[in-house]
Amino acid sequence: MASHGIKDKVAIVGMACTPFREHWDKGADDLLIEASQGAITSTGIALDDIDAFWLGTAQTGMSGITLSAPLKLTGKPVTRVENYCASGSEALRQAAYAVASGAYDVAMAIGVEKVKDSGYQGLNAFPIPNDGTNRTLTAAAMFSLVAPAYANKYGVDEDELKLVLARIASKNHFNGARNPLAQFRKEVDVDTICSAMPVAGRLGVFDCAGVADGAAAAIVVRAEDAHRYTDSPLYIKALSFVAGSGSGLIDPDYDYTTFPEIVQCAADAYAQAGVSDPRHQIAMAEVHDCFTPTELVLMEDLGFSERGHAWTDVNAGVFALDGELPVNPDGGLKSFGHPVGASGLRMHYENWLQLRGKAPEDRQIVLDPTRPYGLVQNLGGYPGEMVCFMSILGTEPG
Amino acid sequence: MADAPRFDLPTIEAESAEFWAGMREGKLLLRRCGDCGALHYYPRPFCPECWSEDVSWQPACGKATLYTHSTVFVNDLPPFNEQVPYVAAVVDLEEGPRMMTQIIDCAVEDLEIGMPLEMTFREVTDEVSIAVFRPAGA
Ligand SMILES: [Zn+2]
Repeated sequence: MASHGIKDKVAIVGMACTPFREHWDKGADDLLIEASQGAITSTGIALDDIDAFWLGTAQTGMSGITLSAPLKLTGKPVTRVENYCASGSEALRQAAYAVASGAYDVAMAIGVEKVKDSGYQGLNAFPIPNDGTNRTLTAAAMFSLVAPAYANKYGVDEDELKLVLARIASKNHFNGARNPLAQFRKEVDVDTICSAMPVAGRLGVFDCAGVADGAAAAIVVRAEDAHRYTDSPLYIKALSFVAGSGSGLIDPDYDYTTFPEIVQCAADAYAQAGVSDPRHQIAMAEVHDCFTPTELVLMEDLGFSERGHAWTDVNAGVFALDGELPVNPDGGLKSFGHPVGASGLRMHYENWLQLRGKAPEDRQIVLDPTRPYGLVQNLGGYPGEMVCFMSILGTEPG
Repeated sequence: MADAPRFDLPTIEAESAEFWAGMREGKLLLRRCGDCGALHYYPRPFCPECWSEDVSWQPACGKATLYTHSTVFVNDLPPFNEQVPYVAAVVDLEEGPRMMTQIIDCAVEDLEIGMPLEMTFREVTDEVSIAVFRPAGA
């Protein structure tokens, strides 16, 4: 099973991320130009030095021309990839494999989503025809199904669980308040979160990620070439991906307190990187906090918390910026919103800053040599029907 | 609003016509495999356990238990936008299969995981009815 991996064969040598905003004055072209220019400036190369391009977007474009037109690329291989909300991470995965194979020396992974001005409110569901047996639930409702199931399985009072979820949101807003690129840059306290307008189940507005436009990009090369571009490359230790069979929705054994696709994806990623004790070897994690119950369950699925104990770890501040294992130090989807194709690369951008000690002082995590790894976990779909990407990153090869 | 798009109506096809006819008559039709005996829902033209095409209809008894739930307060899609708040739920039918449905006639604070439910039907249009659930004995 699983992947042979490409541990330490590929390095990220430059990255950029645009502010995530309601960019009423910018289109996808503007965002793509801003992110790609930032990434090549960060790498100290020219656009023409890049041999191949992968663009992740869910709905903003259909082909490589969505990128080649604004960048005025001619004669270059440019590919658009889509894999739900993990589309940006998928672009990085393809670019990394392309340079690892030797087919290209320098590749760009870029992700974008222009959500505002689309004619829809929010992230509109993909208009897939169905026979009426498909669910008609909102995304918030699908993820909120986790909360009663979790409370019941582990004997947590539902009012207490509501507070736990609010602490997750408040923690992410605290981090986002320290990030100039985030869409929402204010701290929000637990009381405000708990009394916000209800959306689905026990989730209120502050339990949900926002809606924003944005783009982010990375330049990857083979590891042995990395120091030609930068003194501080970020090595790829693992890349894993799992697409579930979608059977959870009709499987009476699926219990809504775990996401099996993520458990499988994590096992593959940890095996590739040689991580045996994630709670004590991971320095920080950027995870897919689309809704607060998602982040709660991810702490267990990623092996950071024992089953049934993520809620007590949240209460103990384990995942806070100054905690034992900071999760979403950039503010997460909660603070950034979720421009679908860009989010996965935005998560890598925070690892790029933090692991190399280049994050702004007020949110730089403490770097500890016993915790050499950063982690990205980016999912798409819903409980029971999910895709999951993970990467593990580090500044030292070997 | 006659021409407004709505997102709650099935496309009834040859394979599912009998299922939807059952709904109109107040029956939730499951499918039983003639080879391995497995029951499944939603209905498929073959058994998802053993791939046998020897499948026949079996009405559900109407008893179920609540597995998990979410009260939907916000949904922009018509006609759900005019129905909020409503209780969406995952229920386990007594026969075994799991179903996504709605709970009616129950205050949110009275929803309890594992509570017994009974089926009833809601007429959506002249052609379409759907199975929904309410607390047993309510
Ligand atoms: Zn069978």
